[in-house]
Amino acid sequence: MTPDAAAAPHQIVMGWPFWIATCIFIGAYALIVSEKIHKTTVAICGAALMIVLGIVTQEEAFHSLDLGADWNVIFLLISMMVIINIMKPTGVFEYIAIRSAKVAKGEPFKIMAIFSVVTAVVSAFLDNVTTVLLIAPVTLLICQALELDVVPYLITEALASNIGGTATLIGDPPNIMIASKAQLDFMAFIYNLSPVIIVVLIAYIISIKFIFGKRLTVREELKERIMAMDEREAIKDPVLLKKSLIVLAVTILGFVLHGMLQLQPATIALFGAGLLLLVSGIKDPHQVLAEAEWSTLFFFIGLFIIIGGVVKVGLIKWMSLEVLKITQGNFFGTAMIVMWFSAFASAFIDNIPYVATMNPLIIDMAKQLWPNLSGTQLLHHPDLMPIWWSLALGACLGGNGTAIGASANVIVVGMAEKMGSPISFKKFMLYGMPLMIESVIICTLYVWLRYYVLNI
Amino acid sequence: MKVKDLMIPIHDFLRPDVTLKEAVNLLHIARRDAEKQGVKGLPVLDDHYKLIGILSMRDILKAVYPSYMSMMNLGNFTWDGMLESLAKRAGAEKVAAHMSRDLWTVQENDSLMECVDLMIKHDIKRVPVLDQSGKVVGMIYERDVFNTITNAMFDDPPEGEK
Repeated sequence: MTPDAAAAPHQIVMGWPFWIATCIFIGAYALIVSEKIHKTTVAICGAALMIVLGIVTQEEAFHSLDLGADWNVIFLLISMMVIINIMKPTGVFEYIAIRSAKVAKGEPFKIMAIFSVVTAVVSAFLDNVTTVLLIAPVTLLICQALELDVVPYLITEALASNIGGTATLIGDPPNIMIASKAQLDFMAFIYNLSPVIIVVLIAYIISIKFIFGKRLTVREELKERIMAMDEREAIKDPVLLKKSLIVLAVTILGFVLHGMLQLQPATIALFGAGLLLLVSGIKDPHQVLAEAEWSTLFFFIGLFIIIGGVVKVGLIKWMSLEVLKITQGNFFGTAMIVMWFSAFASAFIDNIPYVATMNPLIIDMAKQLWPNLSGTQLLHHPDLMPIWWSLALGACLGGNGTAIGASANVIVVGMAEKMGSPISFKKFMLYGMPLMIESVIICTLYVWLRYYVLNI
Repeated sequence: MKVKDLMIPIHDFLRPDVTLKEAVNLLHIARRDAEKQGVKGLPVLDDHYKLIGILSMRDILKAVYPSYMSMMNLGNFTWDGMLESLAKRAGAEKVAAHMSRDLWTVQENDSLMECVDLMIKHDIKRVPVLDQSGKVVGMIYERDVFNTITNAMFDDPPEGEK
């Protein structure tokens, strides 16, 4: 790093547009955190204000790669939602969960461990919230059958889904956003994040064994209820199931190869969704499309435009210069600050707006450091790569810290309340925070060892 | 025919803070009309006799049915005795937690078609009738509306025009 580059302030004009955009940005984030108004409404209003007040043009908001909505992220999310919505009625998820409980022979800790691993693996390929919504209802049924407290199971599943989601490009929205902005492909995530996530998951299972293992007991006769369940009865539509599994396999193969094929992940997902709509024989796709989570999608779109506004006026560049002042050109230090700051930030605020802000900040930082580089030469600079991975690990795993850190946590807390066993903020944090810190410590060692000692 | 001609005046109602067990008891003994006993739903009134909900048999079924079962297809994986043990637990819960709060009401002078409109659009079987001051004075039941329809179908045309 050249100290001159960091010192050069470059021209940030702090005029009216700068302050207007900054106010919209801070106001929107404050409202999102306060939860006084729905976050999607806030994001749409903030985005519209950015355009109405002339901070960004409509052209920039809708079509610019740097300042506008990131359609790569939106189409990837929509397409995966469509694939899941078609697959859900086949009964495959019920089948997997019931089968898992039977493999565990109704032993309470084995069920917890197997469900955690299944949740993590499914979550690596599907959205975390979707995974929890698919696994948790069966878990609640199993807990009821075994007369077990649902709380430990719901918490461990939510945490496992956030861990598993970190492993791949498509597992968690922060990764999708990072991949799009940093132009990283599916295999780069597998190669750099999956190994450490496997270690984190093993450590996690050992930890929950210590925390919950002894407390969970079940009367022998209740296990019969589980063993009497026939998972094959779950399969409601074997033909559609076969077609869905083939299309899903093709789609995942497409993700694996997308770098080589020179296709964006969103293109692969869109192809998969289109193919499944075609072969499933669904006459009117209206229902399948209507079930996509439009509120989440519009939240993304709005956020992208708000961030575009503060990128354009230079706020993000100013923030990146401040970060450079703190880190003083120490790349390992930067990676660590990014990882730990992201982890604690994501534990308390939504990691989606957080990563949406961090992406351009890191790119701006790179532009200050290497002003002569551009494109992937800049984005994939060897010194920058560990910082991207630290951002992904911190932002995804950080969500485990509190009940509001990740959407999956919010979902299980809601489910527990409906079951009459509410999980307080404190109770969730008591389990979530130490397990989150454990995982980030493992990631710290991994990043240090892999990128700064072994350099592989 | 107007609402007031078909409604059954209110004899019994529920309080929000009673348990489902007590509510079920009242459903059994409540008067349906002059001679019959037992109703399938009752209005829930607050201390000022203001209508705040309706508790029907359906709501009690829903109170026993675990919410997670509606999220996936799990009917095949239930066991003998599950319903009964959940019902025991639900008996102690309060009416306020399980009554329907989406209220569709009619006035005494409204037309019967307005009732049918509400019944079909909102999939309800009973509609509370309010007087001018907003107090609940009676209920219109699907069964009685159906009887009116039946009578109209079978009446001779000259009689129907009377």
